[in-house]
Amino acid sequence: MTLEPTKKLFRDEAQAESIKCLGCGGPITLHSFGAVQRVICPHCGSALAPADSGALALLEAATRKHQDSVLPLHARGTLDGVEWEIIGICWRRCVVEGVAYPWQEFLLFNPYRGFRWLIHSNTDGHWTLGANLDGAPEILETRHQRVRFKKRRYKHFQGANAVVTYVEGEFTWEVHVGDRADANDFIDPPHGLSIEQSSGPDGAELNFTIQQHIDAKAVWKAFARPGKPPKTRGVGALQPNPWRRHRAQIWLSFLVFLFLHAFLSKRLEDSRKPHTVIEEKNLAFDESISRELTIGREGERTAIEFHFSPDPLDNTWAYAEVMLINIATEQAVAFGVEASYYHGMDDGEYWSEGHGRGAVTIGGFEGGKYLLQIQTQRDTTSLGGGPFFIGATRHPTSYGIELVEDVYLTRYSGLALLVIFGVPMFGGLMGWIFERRRWRNSDYAPGGG
Amino acid sequence: MQPSPVQCPECGAPAPFRGAAISLVCEYCGSTVVRTGVDLRLVGKVSALLDNGSPILLGSTGKLDALPFELVGRLQLRHGRGTWNEWFVNFADGTIGWLADAQGSYSLLRPRDKSIVAGKVPPFARLELGQPIVIQGVPHVLVERRAATYQGAEGLLPFEAEPGLEFFSADLRGHDGEFVTLDYGEAGDHQRPTLYTGRAVDLGGIGLQPLRRFAGWRA
Repeated sequence: MTLEPTKKLFRDEAQAESIKCLGCGGPITLHSFGAVQRVICPHCGSALAPADSGALALLEAATRKHQDSVLPLHARGTLDGVEWEIIGICWRRCVVEGVAYPWQEFLLFNPYRGFRWLIHSNTDGHWTLGANLDGAPEILETRHQRVRFKKRRYKHFQGANAVVTYVEGEFTWEVHVGDRADANDFIDPPHGLSIEQSSGPDGAELNFTIQQHIDAKAVWKAFARPGKPPKTRGVGALQPNPWRRHRAQIWLSFLVFLFLHAFLSKRLEDSRKPHTVIEEKNLAFDESISRELTIGREGERTAIEFHFSPDPLDNTWAYAEVMLINIATEQAVAFGVEASYYHGMDDGEYWSEGHGRGAVTIGGFEGGKYLLQIQTQRDTTSLGGGPFFIGATRHPTSYGIELVEDVYLTRYSGLALLVIFGVPMFGGLMGWIFERRRWRNSDYAPGGG
Repeated sequence: MQPSPVQCPECGAPAPFRGAAISLVCEYCGSTVVRTGVDLRLVGKVSALLDNGSPILLGSTGKLDALPFELVGRLQLRHGRGTWNEWFVNFADGTIGWLADAQGSYSLLRPRDKSIVAGKVPPFARLELGQPIVIQGVPHVLVERRAATYQGAEGLLPFEAEPGLEFFSADLRGHDGEFVTLDYGEAGDHQRPTLYTGRAVDLGGIGLQPLRRFAGWRA
């Protein structure tokens, strides 16, 4: 006897099936190759289920109208190099304090990869991509509820009772309009973890989903949709914080710049050779002086520093009006220098303010021959004074001056330092504002429920 | 493969028993043949396998952590939410395992010593969803409990699977991706389930080949 081997099972290419809806007679093509539990007619909403024979049986006839979703049934898209087809669409919503927050869920299918969820929030326009979690999260008992799975910790974001409002296509479970589930979302942007508990006629079910933020434009491009995706508003629950994404790089560059700054400032400071152009002491206070001097070199610029030291100076101020007149051009540079020193005892505590000397720095000063003129002023309201004691006033009787050229200007170096510190601080502030905007939509909104 | 010295008692076709296999579904006539010692016993025809869209084929091969294996049998099971497949895995080193294939999710499990959980886990009726259960010091969460019946089979199986027989089992998952199945068998009122442990896998990750062809899709 020769045996003819029977055709081996499942060796032929599986084909998509075309049927007629047992409710409305409309055409339905089945794209899941038999992997599903429910088929909801896109035209009329009738529910069909595969019977043992493999044929579909009508479970529940319906006459609802078809509604357009943001993505159509059977559209295909490639995400992270894997092609997916939308085989089912399910609209759900939750109601918080009387306000409905609707979203649309797209069941993605690839016969070799299984199922994924593409979720679009109608409220803020953001998208997430979800998959079944290969495990169970650990509930961490902390003040702000957190869960852990595989080294990642997620913070509780919101809890809601979600209800199904519209369905069409093929599903791996027995979906019904009106089905309710308690969902809790936990986030560690751009990742999220969702715990959903639903009760059906079959008993309770506990589902864990792992989610990821996906850019609206990326979704539109992946599914080759015309035009633009629905506008996103505000910060999505899983949207990556751009200010925090580069936090490590920002702080690293901060350190590099800080080091560079210290190095360059030192180099620059070392390259300066400050030296005194004029120094005079014990000038009578009321006497105005006028001196001829040469600052720097003709045609070159330098930085100068002028010091004013009145003596004595106790609990009062003194002021010098300085004018530097370029003899060749007759251009004048005028500036004032103030010096003050106050001190005393308050409740047994000694205090002091000012240090009795004044200084002014001027950068970009043109070199050349100058006429220096100084006029001084002091507080004349209480001249004469009394006996010397702590807290007594002593007015200056003389003063000293010093003019130094080729000094190092710390103010530019300080400005650079401000920028170097400012960038990470600004980034930190913006990152914080971004997080506040994200959490405004959560159960932990500041000032909200 | 050595030619099998035994034949299907129903149609006379070769019945290529090997390894730990106890029963075989004849690929020519669909009869279930059970090996008892040196004798073969005919159980009868099994119900047809339902096409539940699985991309896996009987005889596919792959590797788990560099250890090659072959899928030598399939048990199809039915519960309240449809059917799933348990593929009987024969590893190159002679050990066995099961590749669970349910709606696009796959996990590869190996049988462990019953004494690890004997008396330490509740009986089937007292299992609750979300219940924490520690197995070998590792915390797990009960994510599914079900009563299932044997729907159909193909190829070799390490036991005699009678269609329609009901059995009880539960799935547990760990916080780092661990996967555990407790198989209570046909009666759930005891505390000595068969323990299977393993992890979730994807078909690319275990290099399973060949796979079924689907019109309009590339593997």
